[in-house]
Amino acid sequence: MKDSFRQSMKWFHTWVGLIVGWVLFFMFLTGTLGYFYQEITRWMEPERPFIEHNISNERLLDIAQAYLINNAQGVDEWDIMLPSVRDQNLRVGWRHPAEAGKKRGKYKIKVLDANTGDEIERRATGGGRLLYRMHYRFHYLPTEISYWIVGFCSMLMLLAVITGVVIHKKIFTDFFTFRAKKGLLGWLDIHNVLSVIALPFHFMITYSGLLFFLFTYMVLSTNLQTNEDELDAMLDEIYPRTAHLEKANQAAKMLDISILYQQAKTTWQADELSYVEMFAANDVNAHVLFVRHETDITYNPEDEVMVNAVTGELILQKPKEYTVTSMIHNGFFSLHEGHFAGSIARWIYFFTGLIGSAMIASGLILWTTKRKPKQLKNPNGPDFGYRLVEQLNIGTIVGLPIAIAMYFYANRLLPVDMANRVNWEANVMFISWAMLLIYPIFRPANKAWYEQLTLAALVYFALPLVNVLTTNKHLGNSLLQQDWNLAGFDLTLLVVGGCFAFAAYKFRALQVNIRPSKQAIKKVEKQCVQAMNESLLPLQQVNKDQC
Amino acid sequence: MLVLISFSFAAMMLFCLAMTKHRKQVLEDEISSLTVRFFRPFAWLLLLFTGYLSVDMYGWSIGPALFFGALTIAILLLILLLTYRAKIVPPLAVIMPLIASIGIFIN
Amino acid sequence: MSNLIDYINFSSPRWPVFSRVLAATFGGYALAIASSLLISQLLVHVTGKYQAIHIGLILTFLVYVCAAMWVFSVKTAKKAWIGLLKSIFFCLALTWLLAKITGVAN
Repeated sequence: MKDSFRQSMKWFHTWVGLIVGWVLFFMFLTGTLGYFYQEITRWMEPERPFIEHNISNERLLDIAQAYLINNAQGVDEWDIMLPSVRDQNLRVGWRHPAEAGKKRGKYKIKVLDANTGDEIERRATGGGRLLYRMHYRFHYLPTEISYWIVGFCSMLMLLAVITGVVIHKKIFTDFFTFRAKKGLLGWLDIHNVLSVIALPFHFMITYSGLLFFLFTYMVLSTNLQTNEDELDAMLDEIYPRTAHLEKANQAAKMLDISILYQQAKTTWQADELSYVEMFAANDVNAHVLFVRHETDITYNPEDEVMVNAVTGELILQKPKEYTVTSMIHNGFFSLHEGHFAGSIARWIYFFTGLIGSAMIASGLILWTTKRKPKQLKNPNGPDFGYRLVEQLNIGTIVGLPIAIAMYFYANRLLPVDMANRVNWEANVMFISWAMLLIYPIFRPANKAWYEQLTLAALVYFALPLVNVLTTNKHLGNSLLQQDWNLAGFDLTLLVVGGCFAFAAYKFRALQVNIRPSKQAIKKVEKQCVQAMNESLLPLQQVNKDQC
Repeated sequence: MLVLISFSFAAMMLFCLAMTKHRKQVLEDEISSLTVRFFRPFAWLLLLFTGYLSVDMYGWSIGPALFFGALTIAILLLILLLTYRAKIVPPLAVIMPLIASIGIFIN
Repeated sequence: MSNLIDYINFSSPRWPVFSRVLAATFGGYALAIASSLLISQLLVHVTGKYQAIHIGLILTFLVYVCAAMWVFSVKTAKKAWIGLLKSIFFCLALTWLLAKITGVAN
């Protein structure tokens, strides 16, 4: 297309990145937040109690079971989620009866107080889950359309990653290069560095993202090769499910879950329960599945222990069989979602996700920086395309983080008993984002950047303060209670605020350096005049550079 | 994890110092070109060792993933230091692995 | 109507680009699907039917990437279309041939 393959790919990389860059930034940022979605949800439901140290698993199971016996009569399947490093509250959940006109009822989770066993009334909120699900189910669009748009964007992202590697001529010689003070080259270096240091992650995240909806995107291929039954069989092979006994419709008395748990404890040689699933409750075939935390990206049969709820005996299950391709496919999913990740690994996932978002942002900024000198010389002002990109940059790269903070503000400030509260928290986020996208239209780019950066810093610094004023789950208390997850959220807000403040400061400093200050100009003028007046030398010998 | 990051940092530093342009940034004295020739192979060995360590510590399933994570952090740290505080890179590349290894033995 | 024809500049360099975009998007998709059929057919006796189809499907994205990159690097848009159509035909023909030879129905 252009003279050389590399030049064609450079053109291609630029266009592919530009067309969907802002959508990809949104996907990357909300997805990255998803690595901490349980922690975010916990912060967004401040009615939940602080962490309870030192309550045994058996006691928690008893409390949960007592609640379920009283409140979930007639329900065949329910779950108990024990407090974990990520979500420190005891929770129970089951599928409620279907509402009129709907096929399935909603699965609802209740948070229980570990001391009293009562349900805790929480404000209605989408929590961290709604926030991260936006990264593949755009909020206002029907899910099918979202999946296709996400697929299109992910495909372009994959193209960008691969063409990026192809065009990076000096990928090894320039590996460690970062020319910090040199404007355009500096931005190019940042973009290159951020892409290269996490290249395996970027490729994995994009490819695994596409794999999530493999059967949606490649429906034509599966239709040509399989009929419906074969497709079901193939899907069963790729996503195997644990086999369960069916309900026998014969009532029977069950043992206490805490007693049944001893079987799991013996099998695991450890007291490490994550959640419990009950099947066919109060029936002859009642059985309980005890599951512990994932520590692997591949299936580990020992993670699940099935116990007969009536007799208390261990049910020896046939482990799920994974074919090689199925292991690879699901392995990709595990890598993408990072369920296995402990605390340190999770922070690394989060940090690397931010690197990905910054890679996209730096690419977009690089585009405008490269074209800026030429655009500024334009007699009628910059081109429409350039201005559009610059405004979208400001409104998205700084605007989206501000909008996300607004989501948290809405969680704290909207009335607790407001109707449609979940939708309105999201609406506040998108309305703010829209305003921040429109705002740069009315301001010169430099001013808009600086103002939005400062706004972002203020917004993030103020959020922990609002937390203090509106709830008792603020930083002071969470540190006292050693509830590190809650404390971590507020501390992260402060760090993010600090980053934006630093960015605003650096932005201002760079602007000032480019134009000489008025004082400097006056000083040079004065020297010129002095030289011309005082000197007896002819004019030509006055330093031409200064005047 | 710190062990992985430290050793990755040292390995990447060796790759970096194998290049003249960066050696000038970091070191004041010249190093004989004979010594420099050994930097790259040794760096590869160190990298392989770190990868092996990661699999040993965390298993085949998530070991590689954490190894890449450690590499990411190490390289980012190295590049930032090279730009703003180049001189402390060599001492750091020696001290960090030492401290991390001692930490492992204590635990 | 003639105003419209005057307005659309047919010799603008944007048309070949647009043509390539169409080629990469739809032609690339078609090639990806065709390649998945071929890959399944090649592997069906090695790994069993479902795994063969599965592998073919997983690789479609790589094929799509290569196709798109190729479309935007050849000399003309016409070459891109012709190349894509030739590849698709080749994949489908080979798939059909293999199916006939090995007797596996699709």
